[in-house]
Amino acid sequence: MQPGIDWAAVQAAAAWRLVVPRTPMRGRVGERLGAGTGSSLEFQDHRPYVPGDDLRHVDWKAFARSEVLSIRLYREEIAPRIDLVIDRSRSMVATELKQRAYGELVALLASASTSMSADTRLVTSAAAPPIPLHRPDEVQRFLDCDATSGAMEELGLQLRRQSMRVAVSDFLFPHDPDTIVGRLARDGASLAIIQLTTRDEAEPDVEGGRRLVDVEGRGELDVTIDARTVAEYRARFNRLRQGLSRAARRTGATFVHLMAGATPRQVARVLADAGILEPR
Amino acid sequence: MTFAAPLGLLALLAIPAIVAIHLLRRRFPVRPIAGLFLWQAAHDVPDGGRRIDKLPWTTSLLLECLAALALALIVSGATLAPSASSEHLVVLLDDSVSMTAIDSRGESPRARVVARVRDEINRIGPRGRITLVRSGERPALIAGPAAFGAEAESALAAWMPLARQHSLAAGLRLSRELAGDSGSLLILSDRQSDGTTERIVPGEIWAAAGIPLANIGIVDAHRSVNADTKQGALSLTVRNYSDAPAKRVLRVTVVGRPFKGANGASDTEILVRNVDVPAGTSSISIPLPAATPPVRASLSDDALVSDNAVVMVEPQPQIVAVDDRLKDGRGKAALEKAIGALAGVIPGSPGHLAFLDSSDVASGSSRTNGANLASGFSGTNGPPAPGVWQARFGRPAPPLAGDGTPEDFIGPFVLEKRHPLLQGVTLGGVVWTGVFPLSPGAVHPLASGGDRALIGTLAPTATAADPTFLFNLDLERTNLIRSPDWPILISNLVEMRRRELPGPERWNYRVGEWVRIRFDSQPARPLHLRMGTFERDLPGTRLVEFVAPAPGGLAKILEGDQLRYEIGINPLDESEGDLRRARTESIGKFDDARRERAIESGAAFDPIFWLLLAVCTAAMFCNWWLLSPRRVPARRSHSEGGRA
Repeated sequence: MQPGIDWAAVQAAAAWRLVVPRTPMRGRVGERLGAGTGSSLEFQDHRPYVPGDDLRHVDWKAFARSEVLSIRLYREEIAPRIDLVIDRSRSMVATELKQRAYGELVALLASASTSMSADTRLVTSAAAPPIPLHRPDEVQRFLDCDATSGAMEELGLQLRRQSMRVAVSDFLFPHDPDTIVGRLARDGASLAIIQLTTRDEAEPDVEGGRRLVDVEGRGELDVTIDARTVAEYRARFNRLRQGLSRAARRTGATFVHLMAGATPRQVARVLADAGILEPR
Repeated sequence: MTFAAPLGLLALLAIPAIVAIHLLRRRFPVRPIAGLFLWQAAHDVPDGGRRIDKLPWTTSLLLECLAALALALIVSGATLAPSASSEHLVVLLDDSVSMTAIDSRGESPRARVVARVRDEINRIGPRGRITLVRSGERPALIAGPAAFGAEAESALAAWMPLARQHSLAAGLRLSRELAGDSGSLLILSDRQSDGTTERIVPGEIWAAAGIPLANIGIVDAHRSVNADTKQGALSLTVRNYSDAPAKRVLRVTVVGRPFKGANGASDTEILVRNVDVPAGTSSISIPLPAATPPVRASLSDDALVSDNAVVMVEPQPQIVAVDDRLKDGRGKAALEKAIGALAGVIPGSPGHLAFLDSSDVASGSSRTNGANLASGFSGTNGPPAPGVWQARFGRPAPPLAGDGTPEDFIGPFVLEKRHPLLQGVTLGGVVWTGVFPLSPGAVHPLASGGDRALIGTLAPTATAADPTFLFNLDLERTNLIRSPDWPILISNLVEMRRRELPGPERWNYRVGEWVRIRFDSQPARPLHLRMGTFERDLPGTRLVEFVAPAPGGLAKILEGDQLRYEIGINPLDESEGDLRRARTESIGKFDDARRERAIESGAAFDPIFWLLLAVCTAAMFCNWWLLSPRRVPARRSHSEGGRA
């Protein structure tokens, strides 16, 4: 069990599930409406009868009106595909607080995914194959973050077509938000981007002289953290966050910024407000 | 510990400097963060600081201080030895063969000299340096310069004196250069200094380790063959370097191959007999059948073994075939008379040397100018074959001859005395008749009268490479053919041609003499000289020249694996055989001040130097590795806003 994660709180938040997009999706046969023709109860269209069609689907009322045999078509029912993209770089565990928040967030998303009979996979890097996820507690094996770069920075992530995608990272690395978001959203049914940072990372305070050491080995810097430096940093961080938000809007994705320190229940509510989760 | 350069210890000031840097450097609390790039636009803080904190005894500080200490010790020339000075001894070894003479105790000067050098190596100790110089006409180093004792020991063991008698002056000059201002010079010989060119200066020691001994040696040898009687002979000149006559056993054996003797039996031993050798010089003559293979004549052993034997090869006469094509008359008769007086000359056609009338030479149908007329020959007997030298007499052909009438000259004559054709020729009282003017540049003049060339050589061409001599002379009217210069001129010409015939110039040589061997064509395979176990390569040219190597013996000239020639090489050194002048004495004394002077090898030869260098390098490398940005710990502290 990952130390610091409040699994009881996570279990309590299991009443939430991911919001399924209204746009048709792809997936195995299940209980969600898909993009193709199937055997659900939702009427989709008519077409002329051809020999071999199931007589049970003949629209006899229409035949009575027009004396033409036609077949009623219904939407297929599928189990949605969910790709949970998580950032396993060292920055996600830079502090114990952030590590706990990260673990609880991923566990919450795993719980919300597995509770809706979805085909859920955990995507951690382009090099590793996606990991099928059946139970929420299976994610704890992948919360040990020791990479020097995150999955968001990599090309060629193994994401499935028409899948629901949820990406979790702090996005604290030099990047072009349009490129990253576009890459994550390409050929997907939906995309939710969750940026998780600590309060110090988003809104640092004046601390005086510090030797800042990048936990991912990208150098170190002696700097005096005064009011001016803090203001400049906050401005740059806000530009980064707004860039992600704008890029998400352009692609129809959902973006939400979380501060570490909230309980799983509070996090679930924030995600629900953002339209990522919904009550089961 | 001592220091060759104590001022270098000033480099130790680097250590407090390093400590001060570590003490005064601003040291901020460390804070692990994510997203350093968001901070990098902030103003960097200068490395200098303002506050003095407690000195942190970090690994980096210790490594930097260690590297500075090691560098300071290197710069100051630190050494663990009590003194940085070490003695440099230069030893000049007399390489003459008399150093191998054995006395009644079975010892030789060489053995005593080697023992003396070993004593000196022990005296100067392991830090001392020694240079061994071998004397000779061209002195050479056999150990060093400034070698360790062990190297000198091995070189000394392989040293065997074999050279002929020579002065040690050249070796002294080389040794003094090597000793310089800091080295001591020791000369080891078996005799005294000659007091002139070999005079030693203060600070040098001349140590003689010889013992006067009686000796008998072969000082000269000849081998000849009488072409008429087909009888050969071996003549030995023996020198008895004592006041009393002595008896020796003379043994003559065939060298290198089986030989069927006069009795019909296959035996290598031709002669064994007792000979009485009176004091002074005496001769021994031994008849040998013609065509006897190389023989070894040896006297029974005495003090100096090397002069007791000679190897002699039967000389193969080099016959010059002369083709006389002169027209009948006074000139032809005089030429036949002069040639008839020479040994080793036979008539022959095409022969090696042709005497022609210039008028028989064509007018240059295949020539572009007069200077290239060498082979335009249209005589009644046909053109000379390749390899035939020409001597042309009479009026030159038109391209060579210029405009004008012939003149007679009674002198003065200008002769190129250095040319072998004119050696011994004076032309005194000679009337040189019928001299035609020649085209400018037609010949290279060897003898001139007025503005006309009397004798000249034509430049060789691609089709006529053999030398051609032009005698601008009317043989029918001149008195040259009755003068003493005529047979000399013809003899010079014949001997010049003889020297150019294939084969060795001579068949028996002394050690150190130049050996010259001419081949009839460019050797197709590599040439080697093999003499017993000694073997060396020779240049693959038509004319091979080399110095006859010591200790001598039967030398075989091989082209690939094929034996081309055999020559005899013998010491035959009259001076070296005289062992009565050998002495045991020591003159001179080393300069103590010079012996204490340090040689320039410095601390680099001290193991402590390399140890310090290794420590310094390791410390700097470890420090670099520790401070490398790539070595940021994966997780320093997960506490919020971690502090160092």
